[in-house]
Amino acid sequence: MRTQSLVQKSALTVIAGVVTLLALFPLLWVVIAGFKGQAEVLATPFRFFPKEWLVANYTDILGDAAFLKSMGVTFGGALLFAALSLIVNSMAAYVFARLEFRFKSIMWVYVIMTMFIPGMAIMLTSFIVVDKLGMLDTLAVLVLPGVASAGHMFFIRQFYLNIPMALEEAALIDGAGRIKIFTSVFVPMSFPVFVIVGIGSYLGYWNSFIWPTMTITNPNLYQIMQYLYNFRAERVTELGLLMAGSALAAIPTIVLFLIFQKYIISGIKISGLK
Amino acid sequence: MKTNFRYDNKAAYALLTPIVVLLTIFVVIPFFYAIKVSFYNWSFYQESTFVGFRNFYMVVTDRLFGEAVWVGLKFALMVVPAMLILSFLFANVVKNLGAKYSGFVKTSIYIPTIISGIIASVIFVFIYDYMGGLANYVIGWFGSEPKAWLADVATALPSIAAPAIWLGFGFTALIMLAGLHDIPESYYEAADLEGAGAFKKMWYITIPLMRNVILYLLVTGFIAQISQFELSLVMTNGGPLSETTTPNLYILNHFRNDVMVGNSIAASLLLFVVLGSISALIFRVLNSEKAVDG
Repeated sequence: MRTQSLVQKSALTVIAGVVTLLALFPLLWVVIAGFKGQAEVLATPFRFFPKEWLVANYTDILGDAAFLKSMGVTFGGALLFAALSLIVNSMAAYVFARLEFRFKSIMWVYVIMTMFIPGMAIMLTSFIVVDKLGMLDTLAVLVLPGVASAGHMFFIRQFYLNIPMALEEAALIDGAGRIKIFTSVFVPMSFPVFVIVGIGSYLGYWNSFIWPTMTITNPNLYQIMQYLYNFRAERVTELGLLMAGSALAAIPTIVLFLIFQKYIISGIKISGLK
Repeated sequence: MKTNFRYDNKAAYALLTPIVVLLTIFVVIPFFYAIKVSFYNWSFYQESTFVGFRNFYMVVTDRLFGEAVWVGLKFALMVVPAMLILSFLFANVVKNLGAKYSGFVKTSIYIPTIISGIIASVIFVFIYDYMGGLANYVIGWFGSEPKAWLADVATALPSIAAPAIWLGFGFTALIMLAGLHDIPESYYEAADLEGAGAFKKMWYITIPLMRNVILYLLVTGFIAQISQFELSLVMTNGGPLSETTTPNLYILNHFRNDVMVGNSIAASLLLFVVLGSISALIFRVLNSEKAVDG
């Protein structure tokens, strides 16, 4: 073991504390700004804490049916998106990790190739495609286009490659079919990798902004980032309300992250360096 | 390879159908369609006509597109090195913390990463506010006059770089940390015996062994930052002048405003080629360096 002096140790602790505080500061600030009156958010001189703490912004924005609806619609969409993404990508991951079949290498190249096509290059023509399919202004246009992901498939496959062959062979001898093996052996073992991919999909959906803005004009389907963007443009003076809304819109994500953070942080290592 | 492997064609195709169908509809068809449209004078409202390379020619010769690419490069060059250096140093700090405290730190610094660009933009617009913003308050301590951060040609782009660093810092720091933990402790102990100082250890042990991690973060970071458009869209809408119009924002604005979209699509395909080449170049440079020291 290397020895460290107490001074060194406490210096490190202080640095880490300061950086952590800096990283969290903008978020703390938006949460606290949500407690300020409209005039006080940008009061001069700058004040971090409100003179008096108001909960009106939070109760008002929570009383706004449009805000709640877009939170609800986005949350539901994000869960559906994450679930479909896990199903579609894990099925393919299992096939590529374990099965032999005709045209395997062609199919592999076909799927993996899509990983190198950047979203922006195809966004405009994707729009034309979903328009032709009559999907504009539906939940389908938000959910379906991103569900299949070669990157996620690849990530799950790396995990499946490490599951011992013997497990599968035992099930095969018992007469289980491949699909049965996938659902009853692989899926139950997939929890850690499903958490990482599921959260990744959820985040991608929850935070997406430009695609909903292009494809959704029906207010009943407004996504939360789209809502905040419009709110900022249309209700320019209601700063405290905007702050409260922004703070609340970050909360579901932060809560999910805190619940699963153990897996996410350990998953970063695998996902980043493979 | 197993000698007696059996083909499971049916099960394989059944399980692959969803991913193949979805990728075909939403990625492959749009991609080839984009290639096709880029050669046409295409619009939603009119008959399209084949124009050969004219769209590409128009994009390449459009001064504004060139400027947007330049803005994207400047932006990436501001964000990526700063973010990598900061997160590298910070990862070294976290590595030497006690387990419990470092757990807390890791969780906290990762939180900004999961926040959307839109929320970050909303927050930072207020931080930069001329009257009541934090940025002007802080420079006021040093006697500086308030600045219109986002409206000034000189400060607009760096002001957008700050939230980009904020959003990406946690992720890069944790990847760096994972890389640091993979370096055997015995290397440092040997260096200690030789009497190497902290700086020498970092220069001769840590950095060389972290090369692949740094390379990975450099390339992915570069591509992510040059593609950034949400921050400038919300914070400045590309202004002042077109000082914060990144390539993707340029493409997006054209797609929204132009009747003919062949242009925008040609631009996005070109960008795709440019980005591919840049990352290939970075890989080559770092690989050849690797070859030198064996």
